[in-house]
Amino acid sequence: MIKTEDLKKVYTTEEVETTALNNVNFEVRHGEFVSIMGPSGCGKSTLLNLIGLLDNPSDGRYYFLDHEVSRYSERQRANLRKHNIGFVFQSFNLIDELTVFENIELPLLYQKVSSSERKKRVTEVMEQMQIMHRKNHFPQQLSGGQQQRVAVGRAVVGSPRLILADEPTGNLDSSHGEEVMKMLLDLNEAGTTIIMVTHSPTYAEYGHRVVHLFDGHIVTENLNGKFHV
Amino acid sequence: MFKNNFIIAWRNLAKQKMYSIIKIVGLALGIAACLLIALFIKDELGYDLHFKNGDRIYRVILRINDGDHIWQISTFPAPVVSAIKSEFPEIEEVGRMTGLVYFGAGSNDIRRTDKPDNIFEEGFVYTSQGLLDIFQPQMIYGNLDHALDGPETMIISKRKADKFFPGENPVGKTMILNNDRKRIYTISGVMEDPPRHSHFQYDFLMTLSEGLYPGEETNWNSQSSTVYTLLHPGIDVASLETKFKKLAKKNAASLIGKSEGPEADDLIAKITYRLQPISDIYLKSEGISDEFQHGDIRFVWLFGMIAIFIFIIACINFINLSTAKSSKRAMEVGLRKTVGASQKSLINQFLAESILLSFLSFSLGVVLVMFLLPYFNILSVKELVFPWNEWWLLPLLACAATFTGILAGLYPSFYISSFEPIAVLKGSIKRGCKNASLRNGLVIFQFSISIILITSTLVINNQVAYILNKKLGFDKDEVLLIQGTKSLGDQVTSFKNELLKLPDVKNVTVSDYLPVSEMKRNSCGFWNEGKQEVDEAYSAQLWGIDHDYIKTMGMNIVEGRDFSPEIAGDAEGCIINKTMARQLNLENPLDQTICTSFASWHVIGVVEDFHFESLKENIGGMCLTLGKSPDIVSVKIHTKNMSRTVASITHVWKTIAPYQQIRYSFLDERYTMMYDDVQRMGYIFNMFAMLAIIIACLGLFALSSFIIAQRTKEIGIRKVLGASVLNITFNLSKNFLTLVALANIIACPIAYFFMNRWLQDFAYRIHVRSWMFIVSGGIVILIALLTIGLQTIRAATANPIESLKYE
Ligand SMILES: Nc1ncnc2c1ncn2[C@@H]1O[C@H](COP(=O)(O)OP(=O)(O)O)[C@@H](O)[C@H]1O
Ligand SMILES: [Mg+2]
Repeated sequence: MIKTEDLKKVYTTEEVETTALNNVNFEVRHGEFVSIMGPSGCGKSTLLNLIGLLDNPSDGRYYFLDHEVSRYSERQRANLRKHNIGFVFQSFNLIDELTVFENIELPLLYQKVSSSERKKRVTEVMEQMQIMHRKNHFPQQLSGGQQQRVAVGRAVVGSPRLILADEPTGNLDSSHGEEVMKMLLDLNEAGTTIIMVTHSPTYAEYGHRVVHLFDGHIVTENLNGKFHV
Repeated sequence: MFKNNFIIAWRNLAKQKMYSIIKIVGLALGIAACLLIALFIKDELGYDLHFKNGDRIYRVILRINDGDHIWQISTFPAPVVSAIKSEFPEIEEVGRMTGLVYFGAGSNDIRRTDKPDNIFEEGFVYTSQGLLDIFQPQMIYGNLDHALDGPETMIISKRKADKFFPGENPVGKTMILNNDRKRIYTISGVMEDPPRHSHFQYDFLMTLSEGLYPGEETNWNSQSSTVYTLLHPGIDVASLETKFKKLAKKNAASLIGKSEGPEADDLIAKITYRLQPISDIYLKSEGISDEFQHGDIRFVWLFGMIAIFIFIIACINFINLSTAKSSKRAMEVGLRKTVGASQKSLINQFLAESILLSFLSFSLGVVLVMFLLPYFNILSVKELVFPWNEWWLLPLLACAATFTGILAGLYPSFYISSFEPIAVLKGSIKRGCKNASLRNGLVIFQFSISIILITSTLVINNQVAYILNKKLGFDKDEVLLIQGTKSLGDQVTSFKNELLKLPDVKNVTVSDYLPVSEMKRNSCGFWNEGKQEVDEAYSAQLWGIDHDYIKTMGMNIVEGRDFSPEIAGDAEGCIINKTMARQLNLENPLDQTICTSFASWHVIGVVEDFHFESLKENIGGMCLTLGKSPDIVSVKIHTKNMSRTVASITHVWKTIAPYQQIRYSFLDERYTMMYDDVQRMGYIFNMFAMLAIIIACLGLFALSSFIIAQRTKEIGIRKVLGASVLNITFNLSKNFLTLVALANIIACPIAYFFMNRWLQDFAYRIHVRSWMFIVSGGIVILIALLTIGLQTIRAATANPIESLKYE
């Protein structure tokens, strides 16, 4: 599904150049659940941003669904992104001024889905995430776990083929963390490809394989032995 | 610590260059506007403060309280001077002056009796010795005492002495006016030039020792003179004013011609007197018609208010810009607080920053004033200078800058320094602000003002264009007016004939009566023949013209014919305008006879109505008759080379009047001059409109950066979820444009109301049209879009991961 060749990302600020990623070769197939681990600052988020088409690499090639997209324009990337990728962030990133329903609805708005269809799909997702009763609440009125469920709901409502989760459990206590992991697992079982960054070895175990990043390089990959082609 | 504060403040300014510049420039513009207005007001308030006993000098005003209107009259018959002097022991001295052009005040051609060349000069006035004793001008030559006591004496100003008698003492020398042997004056003194801030701007003070004419000193029947009094020290003005009532009977007699009977009693009851302090004459003479240049205290108030207003708005914009960027500073505050900074020290820190900004703004403001002052002087018809050499200038500016800095910095410092460190560091600080509606309101308000001003400018400019292009009933183009031809005497006819020989000269006419204002006028009561006893008189103009007048002015005869030199009876004939025919109910005006109390004429023609006064007035009745009024010769020219034609006319003039400078102007320029005040008003509105729009844009800029800062995270999320740049830009602009649209809705009726009222001043005017609102609205929306555009697009194109990273 995705494949990177010699992927490189260099950040240039006024004073210094930071090489966040260096020669990363990485492949994820359809239906996989990949965990990424590594110390803080090693480039995990950078990698996820590149995979998620939020940014262009400085060098190297990136194949997304067999398109070479590393030189795509912002507009082309946005187009691919909105139809294929869902995001879950550590800090949820919900819009405070919108209700739960409206937050989940948002990606469908940008995909120009009709209003009745939107309503149907948002309701479905809310049921699936068990937040139906919170439909008209604002994010501030929810607990962290509930907020993250809304965020997951928003990530899946457009039926993306790939979900990228950057430390989705980082701000949650363990019971809520479990809950979210369970949901990701369910989605994966339903066929969605998932790439997740985490600091927790326990949660990393949920993936089919774990990729270790160190200082912008992939150091090891270990198969958890759960993946069958 | 103090120094440290300023160093950090400077670094902060340097870090946010764009913002600092916008803040400084915005505040500097406001300050520049305020400084200009302050200079204007200071100048206006500084009139007539130079008189030695200024606090005891008063001008006498007669007031007639008519119930719904108070008439104020500032001219009196000559004998009132001696009456006041003998009646009121409270008064030390009484003096009078008169500027009546009829008696030779105003402008004259003047020369030394020992030189042949006449020079045109203005600023002649008749002045009594008493007035001289009151005003006590500084004398350079001659003695003030009795300077104007003798017959045919005159005091001239220093600048005129230098012009006519360079390097000499003119006292005892003689000068002659208009080549008139009866008007030879002996110079009895030279005074300092009148200060610019004096209402009394004259260069030639001619004696009144024998009155304007024999017998004037005892003639109660002409209102000729402005009267000034010098009170003894310590006199109560109010009670003296009531005592003046003694004069009412005589004044009533001079006003209506009788001092007995019910009519006179009624008038006497309505008369009161007012002693106007000399320092009030310039600014506070609203409703008094006199010959002086005036300011208007209402404008002083208006401009003062505008200045305060601009200042407040500039400060509010400054505050908004500061708080808008507060989230950037929140982190710093949080950190400083965790390491132990008190709120007080933080407030000091932020105040230092805003005081520094304020000083920079003041400096820039002063620079702006230096650049703008010449233009401002043209607009305000003043000669303002920046008071560099006054000791109080720098301390005053420094105080004002500190004050402004504190005023504009207080709220933001409290606001920013009150952030809770924990909340800030956790990133959970809410950037929303309760007074969002206040910000919105301010932007709407500022844009409403801009739209009102822009629409007004459009209306004024259109009215001006209408005035300048209006068909006037005469042809104002290519008419040269040669003035002062009275001194040619009988030679004016040969001058005319010589001019007609020039190839480019089409027509020549001799008459002072011209269809632009400030020219000679002669108003009379008219009747149809035989109706004097029955009808009320119809007041109309009676002009004396020659045979070529109508041709030269390009007027249109619609009935009958023009005057003809071949027809002898035309001396008793007249040509009236259509309005006159209508007003006198003449259906077939030709050969009808009309008359005044002293003569009658038969109508030989009717001329199309022409505008002989400003377009502010309706066209009145007009009766043109053959007559002599030889001070102006009008020449209709048709030429490709105006300067060559003027040169040849000047040549002809020189052969006929070798000792008098030719003085000429163009009819169309005179016409345009009539509307100088309207055009100037257009420019002033233009200037204020520009200022208002700049200030409004700063307000909008502050608001939009505030809102965009608030919504950065939201924009990031939306983009991650697939919103396009266009989506975001539209979404952001929509809110701001709604504000501008609201401003339009508020401004249009107000602008319509005021401009419609302004147009009522003109009898001939344009209509306020909808396109004017569309244009001004369009301009404002465009400018608003440009203002928010850069920030909006920058926000919309920003990489979303940047805005989400720190969450
Ligand atoms: N926008 C940026 N500009 C400059 N440097 C950056 C930027 N984003 C990340 N980095 C740097 O790149 C490196 C990798 O960052 P990141 O991918 O966020 O690490 P992780 O998510 O693994 O903690 C870090 O050294 C970080 O400082
Ligand atoms: Mg990270």
